[in-house]
Amino acid sequence: MSNKKLFPVRLPTGSAWLCAGALALTLMPDVGRAQHAQHSVQNSAPTVGTPAIPFELRTLDGKAISLESFRGKPLVLNFFASWCDPCREEMPLINELAAQSGNKGYSVLAIAVEDSRAAVTEYTKESKLTLPIALDLNSTVKRAYRIFGPPATFFIDRQGIIRDIIIGPLTLERASTALANVGLR
Amino acid sequence: MREKTVFHRRKEGASLRVSLSLCFVLVTCSEIAHGAGGSGPVKALVFGSEQNLGKIEKNPSTPFLRYSPDGRLHAVWTEDHDTPWSPATSPAQHQHGMGDRAPSPMRSALLAYSIDGGKSWSSPRRINDAVEAVQGEENGPKIVFGPENRAYAVWSIPGDKGDKTRANIRFAMDEGKGSFTPAKTLNEVKDAARFPILELSPDGNLLIAWIDRRIDNPKPRQLYLMQLDPNGKELTKNYSAGEGLCECCKLGVALADGGKTVYLVDRQVDDNQVRNHVLRKSIDGGKTFAAPVVISDDGWQVPSCPHSGPSIGQDSRGKLHVTWFTLGRTEREAGIYYSVSNDGGKSFAPRRLVHANTAPEILYSTLAVGSDDTAYLAWNNLDNNSKAQVFLRTLSDDGRPWGPIQQLSNTKGNAGRPVLAVSKNQLHVAWTETHGEESQVVLRSAMVAR
Repeated sequence: MSNKKLFPVRLPTGSAWLCAGALALTLMPDVGRAQHAQHSVQNSAPTVGTPAIPFELRTLDGKAISLESFRGKPLVLNFFASWCDPCREEMPLINELAAQSGNKGYSVLAIAVEDSRAAVTEYTKESKLTLPIALDLNSTVKRAYRIFGPPATFFIDRQGIIRDIIIGPLTLERASTALANVGLR
Repeated sequence: MREKTVFHRRKEGASLRVSLSLCFVLVTCSEIAHGAGGSGPVKALVFGSEQNLGKIEKNPSTPFLRYSPDGRLHAVWTEDHDTPWSPATSPAQHQHGMGDRAPSPMRSALLAYSIDGGKSWSSPRRINDAVEAVQGEENGPKIVFGPENRAYAVWSIPGDKGDKTRANIRFAMDEGKGSFTPAKTLNEVKDAARFPILELSPDGNLLIAWIDRRIDNPKPRQLYLMQLDPNGKELTKNYSAGEGLCECCKLGVALADGGKTVYLVDRQVDDNQVRNHVLRKSIDGGKTFAAPVVISDDGWQVPSCPHSGPSIGQDSRGKLHVTWFTLGRTEREAGIYYSVSNDGGKSFAPRRLVHANTAPEILYSTLAVGSDDTAYLAWNNLDNNSKAQVFLRTLSDDGRPWGPIQQLSNTKGNAGRPVLAVSKNQLHVAWTETHGEESQVVLRSAMVAR
């Protein structure tokens, strides 16, 4: 009789234990929230031959800009940061491509990643950059284009298809090839 | 009646077995969650609520934490400098870039301390005397503390032309009087240095290291050091201790044997743009270093800028703990990794994955080693909402399963670049959260069991 009183009464049922266990783990919010993160990156990388990923950003002077706004012209889309050595190495060339773009019928947009408006503004003054620059302040475009460290440059044709991707600093020779790949000679 | 009794007892027995089994499951779960030591998994830590450091309207960022010998916890961070932003320029204008003046890169480095384990903080005081663009992120200010309330700080500012990649290392000290001396530049060749770190030897001398590009060819940068005495006077000139460094990846340092042994870790760049990490060991207080030892042959080949360096700590047994980020040879390998050296840096155990990349981007990791030899790792990674959050894991290399991955931040923006400080009783994690153009420094603390 004493057993009957002790165990069935004082010990919860199996389901109650499970609930209690689940509750105990739930009450450790730092643990519970973390477990989902144990998987690898799933979204696919933009590749040559695939459509460029749409984006909407603001330029340094606060104007809205999107991929759509470049439709109909080839686009040189450059990702850079003011703190990045190889970005600084290639930026004079990117700036020059932008200077020539009006005459040659294409557009250039540089997107600053992991950077601040102040730092990029200072950089443009210091380096006398005149090309259009957008700020990816929340890293959404950087992630969409899977930029594992700047610089990276995407050459997008009139139809919005990526025709060339250059990871690392751009060279004049490589830029010429890439421009040819979007139909520019 | 008897049959009924037997049946009932069988039910009682079955109920008891189920209950005990479930009790075992619960205890096991509890051990995972709370950590019972011994042969069980390493415990998860229970963190207190979030605290903010600095003035939110000044966009604080880039914290660094360190305990001083008297047991105070100190925090350094950077904030927008007062001068460029008039009271009329509201944070909202700042956020959207619509103010009538251009945003300024000028930032101050601030220092505050806590005597109650991070619950409350002193009024911050400024480290840098001049108006200058104190750099942040991986390149942010660092501080160490000596006896008699002495404090020593280093940070980086852009070169004369504003170039962050051709920068200068600044140094200031507080001789225990409550204010910092005017800063001086440590690199003898101007506009050539960044990513400074510093450590204090038990003899009171300072070891300062940075990445230097005074010789710009060959392109991979050099590791430069200099040493100062406790009064901040030069014990050495600048000297090179190695080359082939990734120019945008922070250094890590650990001292041992009363400062005679110095371990430095850095990300290397080889001729094929493969970026493995190496350990450099000095047994003469940092004067000379042995040939670098590759920590792990990750094989990450990348011609762009990884901007994520390694972190190292030594435990009381002399074991070296290292963490780093790599993409590896394929993106499927991408993540935060850990290894340990049991032979003073001659070799490292095969790398172990701490957390797989959930983010199509670079991650940042750091570690701290407690007095009980437990290693704490913190890093950022994406959550299910594609927001970067800060995570923590408690590791043991004694055969016990590692602790669970704990998510510490819950920001709607992005959280990153965590830093750690550990005492005998507490672990502190601080990081920067950004949302648009606004940033804030967040700190959380947990008790660590002995």
